[in-house]
Amino acid sequence: MSDGEAGTPNDGGAGTQNDERQPPRVARWLLRRALPRGVRGESMRGDLLEEWRARGGTAAASAWYWRHASSLSVRYGWRRERHTNPVNPGDRRTRMLLDNLRQDLRYAFRSYLRAPSFTLAILTTLALGIGASTAIFSMVNGILLRPLPLPDADRLVYLNELGRGSQISIAWPDFLDWRPRAHAFQGLALSREEPLTLTGLAQPERVRARRTTGNFFQVVGVSPRIGRGFGDADDRPGVEPTVIVSYEFWQTHLGGDANAVGKPLVLDARVHTIVGVLPAGFRYLRAYDLFVPMGPIVDDKFLNDRGNHQGYNAVGRLGPGITVEAAAREMAAIGLDLQREHPDTNSGITVRTEPLAARLVAQVRLTLLVLLGAVGCLLLVACVNVANLLIARGSARRHELAVRAALGGGRLRLTLQMLAESTLVSAVGGVLGVVLAIWLLRVLVAVAPEGTPRLDEVRIDAAACLFALAAAAVSGMVFGAFPALQASGIRGQAALTRSRSAGASAGSHRLRRGLMVIEVALALVLLTGAGLMMRTIREITRVETGFQPDHLLTMRFSLTGEQWTEPRRLRFYTDLLSAVRSAAGVTNAALAFSLPIEGSNWNSFFIARDKPVPPRPELPNAAFSPVSDGYFETMSTKLVAGRLFDTRDSPTSPNVAVVNATLARRLWPGESAIGKSIKQGWPESPGTWREIVGVVADVKFEGVTVETPLQVYLPLTQESARGLAIIARTPAEPAAMTATIQAAVHQLDKDLPLYAVRTMDQVLDTSMARERMSMLILIVFATVALTLASVGLYGVVAHGVTERTHEIGVRMALGAEPRHVLGLVVRQGLSMALIGTAIGVAGAMALSRTVQGLLFGVTATDPATFAAVIAMLLGVALVACYVPAWRATRVDPTTALRAE
Amino acid sequence: MTTPAYLGEFEQLLLLAVLRLDADAYGLDIARELEARAGRSVSRGALYTSLDRLEDKGLLRWRAAAGTSARNGLPRRLYSVTPAGVAALRASRDTLRRMWQGLDHLLKEPAP
Repeated sequence: MSDGEAGTPNDGGAGTQNDERQPPRVARWLLRRALPRGVRGESMRGDLLEEWRARGGTAAASAWYWRHASSLSVRYGWRRERHTNPVNPGDRRTRMLLDNLRQDLRYAFRSYLRAPSFTLAILTTLALGIGASTAIFSMVNGILLRPLPLPDADRLVYLNELGRGSQISIAWPDFLDWRPRAHAFQGLALSREEPLTLTGLAQPERVRARRTTGNFFQVVGVSPRIGRGFGDADDRPGVEPTVIVSYEFWQTHLGGDANAVGKPLVLDARVHTIVGVLPAGFRYLRAYDLFVPMGPIVDDKFLNDRGNHQGYNAVGRLGPGITVEAAAREMAAIGLDLQREHPDTNSGITVRTEPLAARLVAQVRLTLLVLLGAVGCLLLVACVNVANLLIARGSARRHELAVRAALGGGRLRLTLQMLAESTLVSAVGGVLGVVLAIWLLRVLVAVAPEGTPRLDEVRIDAAACLFALAAAAVSGMVFGAFPALQASGIRGQAALTRSRSAGASAGSHRLRRGLMVIEVALALVLLTGAGLMMRTIREITRVETGFQPDHLLTMRFSLTGEQWTEPRRLRFYTDLLSAVRSAAGVTNAALAFSLPIEGSNWNSFFIARDKPVPPRPELPNAAFSPVSDGYFETMSTKLVAGRLFDTRDSPTSPNVAVVNATLARRLWPGESAIGKSIKQGWPESPGTWREIVGVVADVKFEGVTVETPLQVYLPLTQESARGLAIIARTPAEPAAMTATIQAAVHQLDKDLPLYAVRTMDQVLDTSMARERMSMLILIVFATVALTLASVGLYGVVAHGVTERTHEIGVRMALGAEPRHVLGLVVRQGLSMALIGTAIGVAGAMALSRTVQGLLFGVTATDPATFAAVIAMLLGVALVACYVPAWRATRVDPTTALRAE
Repeated sequence: MTTPAYLGEFEQLLLLAVLRLDADAYGLDIARELEARAGRSVSRGALYTSLDRLEDKGLLRWRAAAGTSARNGLPRRLYSVTPAGVAALRASRDTLRRMWQGLDHLLKEPAP
């Protein structure tokens, strides 16, 4: 509102008159809608506003405002509708039905208000069930179901090569051969992730970049918002280096400069000219800062070697009417042709073609689907529990319903009344569920494993709200059906006689017992899932990693540009190591090309001098990692035989290598590997023979759960890499040492960007983050399910005891001892738990194949886990039955009988 | 107006509150008066619908007055009791008085 309107009556909006404070916006909106127009409505709103201010405008005042705004809206909202819609004889029936419904809802509303703890129990249960399932559904929807944010994303496929069945990247010459031969695609583009060092802006920095062929943006279907995309010209050798920046990079690093195109960016010490800015939010597999073309590196000797697979993969856009399967068949045939044409390099190399979206989420798909199943179980448990509560209440209200039936309430009317009650509850539960889901989703996104794809696309959207609505409606129908059936069975007279015999409510009691069995079974399934994940985490943490991960700090750097010649690099490494080692609080430090767990950066074939050269498909393959002296000492990796690297190993000394125990055992079983020589690369390519001087313990390289590969360590002095990790062992909390080590490095080179700063414990945690998240979620679900089931069990048994007070009294009067009564009640309760357990075990067994993929070191039918879970469930069930049973033994026979 | 309208208890309280407040009776004052004197905390929904009902019966009437800045200039309705309202109150009081008569010894109520 502008000041010019200050004279008009107004109780909303900012900037009105003297007093700025306003009552809750939604409540005000409600009032404006419900109250009559003109002076009548305005005066009421004015009174309320004035009193709200008189009450100080506090939260308490707002609560007061809400209460009275609701009472006014309810009264006037209904009145207005009645006044403005005079009954038309034609649709009197509809009017009556609506009137009845309104009355039913009002009645339901009041009856819930009268039993607040009962209502609270139902709403909490429902909100938990609906909230948890909506949150998980949002994850599944955002990550698995929603199409990728690219035009016609379902027409995009992802291609890579397979070497002996395991996934490798695409060799550049292979890709060049694919292009003219593959007809299934409108376009086929190659790209790889290639982090670059950006200098010349404020701070030198490591940026996320992707190197692509010129047609990449046409294939994925995105054109720059400013400037141009790449073209085939950008792939030619010797072209001036160009770069396309993301919208986000353009905003954060270039200030959104409209004239950014044509400006230079220094990347890896080479000047690149900006030719385009991408539209906001563009993602390919993940977000990137920059894209660079193939041109500047297309001459590279290694790139053009058909035996080198340097991290490239391809994306193709399917031609009209071509299916993924047809494209895959064509590519497989091309792969076979290349095997024949280039047996030296391509034997055993095949092509894999799959939808891009599937590829992106392959790793998390199973986890998400299992969690979705688990949350479905939880929702069912919640529904069953609410049904149970409503039935219990229904039995208690038998008398009330009987009175209404006797006074002429038709059976349909009573059934509708019950349905209105459950609908009201489920609607409110659904709304609360959505609120809970918003919060839960925030937690889920926070605990989701690093690198989970599309996490930034996960949100509570219309689909999620629709899901919550459907969940609420379905659960309302499920749990509402039981009491409604019950109500429809009321015979006025029979119920009015208040017969004490169990007969009248036997039906509902049987129903409740049946529901309890289902609930116990579902709880058992969830508990088993949680138990198996706990075992998995325990097994993972017990794996021998081959090094001491605690108190290790790691960070990476990369020496880019022509000025870093090999001698300069080696000198820098020596200086760097002595600077870090002499920093206060560092006991040891080293440099390495690859870090354990994170994965190898260099896999290569090799041959042994004393062995016949095996045929190509059988060449041994190892993870190669140049490391500095002191590496094994810093990591606390055990020496098995021979010696470690030390100052003896220089650029001019004989070439040496250290291998892991698995390699020594595989190549020289029963012999010592010390003194043997190996050569990295193809058998016929020139290379240096290196003598094995030491054998060290196996170290887990690709995560913890993958089998240890063959490993070869080379002295950094003889194989100087450009991108290395610094590893420092610090007795103090390693994360706290970051600044110290950064300072030591920046003393040497203040412009060197240090990135991927992590403790080795963090690296380990990250590697099992997916399992950990599954475990946490399943534990929470299982705990909730167990709690609900035990409360439900307690309720049913206690209800049974109440109904049978008379019978128990008779038994006691006839001389039954308390322990007999105790046994009787507990037996009946436990029988439900036992049947439920049996069903649950069968269900968990049936699901075992699905969850097996998530487990490590334990089978999905692990007897120990099942035994523990069953024992726990039955233990809780026993307690839940024992309490009401014990109360039954306190029944005073005379009291029980006198009530007759 | 031949037979005075029947008054419920809450209606009597409302009419009395309006009479007590004289010319300045608007919603907020009436609610406060009820709360202070009759110890009745009343929902605004019930308050205004009852006032409307009394107006429909011709026992109350109101005129609009300009609002203050404390209510963003929203108008007030100042209520006053009509002669019919006064008559109805009187009739109710008489009825009650007749019913009370002769019961003082049972109810042991000190004289007002």
